[in-house]
Formats: sequence, C-alpha cells, structure tokens
Amino acid sequence: MKRCLPFIVWFLVLGTNITVRAETDAEVNARKDALDVAGAFSNDGFKIRDGHWCGVVKPHEHALVAVNLYVGNQYWFSVGATEPVKQIAVSVYDETGKQVTTENYDNGDKAAAGFSPANSGQYVVSVDVVEGGEGSFCLVYSYK
Amino acid sequence: MASVFATAGAAETGRLSSDQLSKAAKSDSISIPTPGELFAALGKSGKTNWAGQYRGPIPATYRNRAQIALNLGGLIADGFIAVEAKDGQQVKNIGSDIIKLAKALGVSEKLLARGNSINEFAEHSEWDTVQEELEATENEVKSSMQTHADQDLVILVTLGGWIRGTQVVTAAIMQDYNEDSAKVLRQPALVRFMQSKINEISPELRGEPLVKNVSEQLGEIEKLVSFPSGKAPTVDDVRKVNKSVGKAITEIESKDLPK
Repeated sequence: MKRCLPFIVWFLVLGTNITVRAETDAEVNARKDALDVAGAFSNDGFKIRDGHWCGVVKPHEHALVAVNLYVGNQYWFSVGATEPVKQIAVSVYDETGKQVTTENYDNGDKAAAGFSPANSGQYVVSVDVVEGGEGSFCLVYSYK
Repeated sequence: MASVFATAGAAETGRLSSDQLSKAAKSDSISIPTPGELFAALGKSGKTNWAGQYRGPIPATYRNRAQIALNLGGLIADGFIAVEAKDGQQVKNIGSDIIKLAKALGVSEKLLARGNSINEFAEHSEWDTVQEELEATENEVKSSMQTHADQDLVILVTLGGWIRGTQVVTAAIMQDYNEDSAKVLRQPALVRFMQSKINEISPELRGEPLVKNVSEQLGEIEKLVSFPSGKAPTVDDVRKVNKSVGKAITEIESKDLPK
C-alpha cells in the first residue's frame, strides 16, 4: 500500500474531481502541498478522501467549510497554501460554533488539524492566514 | 507520526457565530461523507458481519435516468460493503454492475479501465486501494455527468449511496446493538444538505414521481436521525430509520416506478 502512495497522491492531484469551477495553477499547487501533508498521515492508516476544497483566503477572514463526521473515526484536515501566504492555520468548530481541541501540525504554508469527534454530525473547518497576504489554499481530509 | 507531527498546542478556545456557521461553504465533494467513512466508523465498535449485508442483484435495465443515478449510488455503497467484507468476487460482481448502469447513462468511457484496476487490486487483496478506486469511480461518474450536462443527477448518485449505506448500517446495528455504534446515525445537517441540493435540481426532474417520493421520505428520515448531541438512539430508533430507508431502497430498486 505504501508503495502505491506516490501514485495515489499523483492521481488525486491530476485525477478527476467534481468541482465545477476550474482551478487556478495556485490552487493546484496548494492541493499538491495539502496532499503531501495528508500523505504522511496515510502511513498511520489514514485514508485520504478523494475530494478537496480550494479557494482564496484573506488575512483576518475565516475560510469556512462544513463537513459531516462520524463518532468513532479519527480525522486529519490538511491544508496547503501559496504565496503570499506565509503561515496558514486550520481549526475545527462543532455545530454550536465552539472550537474543538485538535492536535495541530504547523509548517508555514502547510498545516493540519486532527481530532476524534465526540459526536456524529456537522463540524466546520476554518482555514486562516496567520502571516502573509491573500493567497490560494486547498483543503483535503483523511480518516481512519 | 506523533514525532513528525508534534502538537503545536491545542488550538485556542474560540467560537464561530451562528451567522458564520450558516455561511460555511458546503460541497458534495467534501461535505458529504463517503459510505466508506460511515462503514469505518461502524467497524470501530465491534465486529460487523459485512457479508450478511449483501443484497441480491438489482436490475441493470432501468430506463429512467434518475432511477439509474440513484441505483448507481447504491451500487457504489455495495462496493464499499464488499471491500469491508474483503470479498474479491463480490467486488468484481458489483464493479461489473456499476459499469453496466454507468453505460446506461453514457458515462462509461473511462470506467472500463477503472473496473479492470478494481478487479486487479481485489485479486491482490489490496483493499485500501480498492476503496480508493471506488471513491475515484464515483467521482469520475459524477464528473462525467457534469460534462454531459447531467449535473442534476450527481446529487441523486450521492443520495442513493447514502440511503443504501444507512440501510446497511442500521441493519448491522439492529443485529448487534450497542450505543456507541448507534451514535454514528446522527446526521441531521447532512440530510438537510442533501435535501437542499435536491431542491436545486430542475423542476422536471424534481417532479418525477420517484424523485418526489424519495425527497419526501428524506424529510421523514431527517427527523429520525436528529438525535440530541451525545444521546445514543435506542434500538427502536434505529429500527425506525432502517424501515424508512428500506422503504426508499425498495422504491429505488423497483422496476415499477411510482405514478
């Protein structure tokens, strides 16, 4: 399985997706970075969901996306961003808007947040610029 | 892993307002979990008899495109069940049925190659890769539907998969009830989102009797999966969800479309 990983990451980057809007080159690069981060979690048995959410994030603004998660699973939300974003952060909120405690990985324009939901239901993932200017980002997630 | 991804400290306690929560983006490709995620969660709380959840073959000769899309989603969920059961022959059988239905929708050009690779990975018992291929197959079908101006059918594929997945999970929970496994069924926002996507499809498609009936049943299902946070549904609650999704599956599979 681990031998297949580079192929799978390549496939997820270049392969099919069901996003209607055409992605910019910056978003494609951000997705590659996000998949690089997520790929590391695969070594711990996390499966990368074949889906992603890309866009542009501005300083002092949350980029928010809703996800529906299951109690019993563990999740990692991985983000890549491009210049002029210098540092990016990921955080997760429950359906009441309360931030949940996550294990975090921060490495400049790459970041991830992992946790095990206490309840099944909707959560909101927030992508934030910590340092730098407005830039493209892409979010993928993994579960096991 | 922990050494590589050292915790940079738990995130600060913060809050999002209800306005921010309501404006969070939602998309089919990331906001709706795959059947594989649901089955993975169920598998945590005990041993599940996945092979016991198989169903008989469904017809591959539907004429109604909405019905084909709903059944295609259900078949993809069946593929995930076969992966959980680690049953190579069943994976191949379902892969073949998926291609037949996809052909009926005219979206099969690339799927034959995908079907072959699924078979190959199943023969070598590379179950994680088979699961990834199944997810990719689903996305390829949806992508192709959008290319062919069939994007209204995309949500029906997703919905068919979710209904079949929920049928299987509720049946498995009923067979060996425990509170932890029952908690996976709480998904009111997910059902609401699928309902909202159905409300966006063309009035013609939405008015088709099968789509209309399934959509109405979805309203009932939403109430049944809206348990309070932290509370486990009882075995009777689970039975009600199973009955409701079972009714929807019976209609989706039936060769006699509702009038």
